[in-house]
Amino acid sequence: MLEDCGFVDIAIGPPVDTFAGAPGEDKARSYAVFGHAFLATRP
Amino acid sequence: MREGVMQGDGHGRERAAEREADRQPDLMVDADELREQVRDKYREVALSPHAGHHFHTGRRAADLMGYPKTVVDALPDRAVESFAGVGNPFSLRPIPAGSRVVDVGSGAGFDSFVAADQVGPQGRVVGVDMTPEMLTKSRATAAQLGLTHVEFREGLAERLPVEDGWADVVISNGVINLCPDKKAAFTEIQRVLRPGGVLQFADIANGRPVPVEAMRQIDLWTG
Repeated sequence: MLEDCGFVDIAIGPPVDTFAGAPGEDKARSYAVFGHAFLATRP
Repeated sequence: MREGVMQGDGHGRERAAEREADRQPDLMVDADELREQVRDKYREVALSPHAGHHFHTGRRAADLMGYPKTVVDALPDRAVESFAGVGNPFSLRPIPAGSRVVDVGSGAGFDSFVAADQVGPQGRVVGVDMTPEMLTKSRATAAQLGLTHVEFREGLAERLPVEDGWADVVISNGVINLCPDKKAAFTEIQRVLRPGGVLQFADIANGRPVPVEAMRQIDLWTG
C-alpha cells in the first residue's frame, strides 16, 4: 500500500511481540499480529 | 457522546471534515462508527491508563517496544502512562536535529516528546489527534515540560491540519491500522511531507488473513 501511494525506499523492521502478556494476546495470536517499524520516503 | 467535549465552531468544522474524509470506497466498516469507538477507547486510555486494556500501556509498553530506558525515564509519568504504541517509530532511524515533525495520532504525546528531544529546540513537532481528552493531556504535559517547540492540534489522519510540504518527517504509532481508509491516510501524509521527506511509523501487521466478515466487525478493530 505504501508503494501504491507513491512512497519509495521502503524498509520494514523486525517484528515486535506487541501483545505478549497483554489481555489481547490470544486474539493477536489467532491472526499472528506483530508490531513493526516502517520507513518510507516521499520522492 | 462527543457533544459535551467538542466545543464551539470547532465541532462543526471537525464533523464536516470527517464527512468529507469519508467520501471513499468500500471501507469494511462505517467510518463514523469506527471513529466513535476509537475515541471511546482512547478516552479511557487518557483518563484511566492503568485500567487494564487489551494492549500494554505506559512504561511497560515503552520497554517492550524497545525505547531506551534513559529516554523514557527522563519523562514524567503523565507523559508516558497513556502511551499505547505497538512498536518504536524511532528504531530504524533517529530524527535529525532541526527537523519539522508531524505525529499522526499523537495521543497523550509520548512519541511527540521523544521526537522533540531528538529534533532539539531548532526543530518543531506538531502532534495531531482526534480525541479531546488526549489533546488536553498532551498540551498540559508540554506546558509542564516547558516545551515551546511542540504543539498539539485536533484533527484526523485523513485530514491533517498541516500545510502542504511542511514536514521533514512524519511519525505515527499504532494509528494507521485504526483508520477506516488507510490509503487516504497515506495520501494525506504524502501531502504534508516535503519532497524527500520521510515517513517513519510503527504499526501492526497480521501474518494470517483476517476473514472479511471479521473485518466488518468494528469491535475487532478496537478490542
